[in-house]
Amino acid sequence: MFEKFRLGKRGENIIFTIFILIYVAYCLNSPDMSFESFKTVLTIGLSVGIIYGLVALGISLIYTGLDVVNFSHGEFFMIGAFAGLTMFNILGNQDWIFNLFPEAYGWIIYVICLFTAFVSMGLFGVFIERIFLRPLTKKGGGYTVAGMGIIICGFGLSVVLINVAYLIWNPVAKPFPAELGLPMEIGGIFLPITYVWMIIVGLFVAGGLWVFLNKTKMGLGIRAVAFSKDVSNLVGINVPLYISIIFGIACAIAGIGGTLVGPTYQVVVFMGYIILMKAFAAAVVGGFGNLPGAIVGGFTVGIFETASSFYVSGSHKDLYAFLLMIIVLMIKPTGFFGVQVKMKA
Amino acid sequence: MKVDKQSVVALLGGNGTGKSTILKAASGLIRSWKGTIEFNNEQIQNLPPHEIVARGLVQVTQGKDVFPAMSVTENLRLGGFILKTKQQLKDNLEKVFNYFPRLNERKDQLAATLSGGELQMLCIGRGLMSNPKMIMLDEPSAALAPQIVLDIFKNINRIRKDGLTVLVVEQNVRMALLLADYGYVIKDGVINVEGESKKLMYDESVKESYLGGTKANV
Repeated sequence: MFEKFRLGKRGENIIFTIFILIYVAYCLNSPDMSFESFKTVLTIGLSVGIIYGLVALGISLIYTGLDVVNFSHGEFFMIGAFAGLTMFNILGNQDWIFNLFPEAYGWIIYVICLFTAFVSMGLFGVFIERIFLRPLTKKGGGYTVAGMGIIICGFGLSVVLINVAYLIWNPVAKPFPAELGLPMEIGGIFLPITYVWMIIVGLFVAGGLWVFLNKTKMGLGIRAVAFSKDVSNLVGINVPLYISIIFGIACAIAGIGGTLVGPTYQVVVFMGYIILMKAFAAAVVGGFGNLPGAIVGGFTVGIFETASSFYVSGSHKDLYAFLLMIIVLMIKPTGFFGVQVKMKA
Repeated sequence: MKVDKQSVVALLGGNGTGKSTILKAASGLIRSWKGTIEFNNEQIQNLPPHEIVARGLVQVTQGKDVFPAMSVTENLRLGGFILKTKQQLKDNLEKVFNYFPRLNERKDQLAATLSGGELQMLCIGRGLMSNPKMIMLDEPSAALAPQIVLDIFKNINRIRKDGLTVLVVEQNVRMALLLADYGYVIKDGVINVEGESKKLMYDESVKESYLGGTKANV
């Protein structure tokens, strides 16, 4: 009987437009609304959104490659932040870098930190996949009962990684004092330059991933494995190796995301959990398993969240991402870019 | 069961008799519980699938197993995934387009937009991309119009004349036996009848075994 109430594509779009118009009208009526605040909201929203997008990208990549949702992905984000911070603490005391580049040493160190986080989290991800997830993926991946095992394994891994990080780095929030330059002026409002860094580096990473997937041979293999493991086997792709690579790339991107938020917020052991949940919302909004959709979903969630906390109510900041997810699931269950999703665990 | 070098062997049987399972075991997708599979005097039953492809044994699946969201050229490039140099890839692409000019016309189209016959051509072409020594075709005639089936079988004949070994699994008994040198008929997972394909063509037991008692109109 529910068949009758299903909206066509047109109906979905109309209801979406109405929803957006109501929301925009509500925001415009808010007493805080001004062009300056709107610019602030846009910048912060985009910068937070690209972080959600990067983590969602990893979740979507792992979902297409391993057929499961990786619930420990937030912890890779957190450990990536710590990896970047550790590198920063090592390099920050070195005078020779300062002597070599007195003008730009702040961002050179930061780029090295980003690179460290990328490489170390990639290797760490491959290691985790080889040791903990391989026995489960061997049994058939996400389509079978083993898929449930991998999901539970993800939760367990999350707890283990948090506690290992707790042992190493303490639960105290640590500052990440990267010296990237003075705050930037956008239309009369001063914002830390790290917001711009987030957007630029995030888009650069996402674009790099797109080029890698579409222009290189390894990317071709990854897309093939993501679509069908059986056919990939038949054309001679080493499927287990490529699954490791997919997991490694997803974790490396999460690590970069962690290092990117480090200077703006702080680096805490428990930062991964809420990011994972919001990135999950972003992935759902964009269409689960769709990589451009993950970035668009991230932007949508980020802007919606920031705008709502500015114009609706600032005390319920963490609520809006999930509110948006629920609304999108109600109106358009496949997300913005989603195709009919395959049955996966 | 044995497939000689540079011959065409047909493996026949009704639905659910285990033809495709044999191919899957040979290409390493499933592990055989007992028995051995040899290729070029080397046991391959415990090798992972990509190693088997690297040794020159390639399975060509039915036309629906392409990557629909990729272009025809990308699908073919995936077929040549194990090739080391770009020059080899280019040469093989030309070779495949020579066999199937139709694919050349549509090389930038998405594979999802191809017709059934073109998909089957794409699958065979993808198998040929990796310079195989032997290809195993899984029902190349499934769900295709007779005219296209004829076309595809002509191409298989050309491939075989160029020195490849072919194992063809078919439900279209007549076409397969016309093409093949030797035939095996499988029933309930066991080889029932075997022999030269010309003899099998007129063998009464083949007709019976194939359709489980009813006379087939071959």
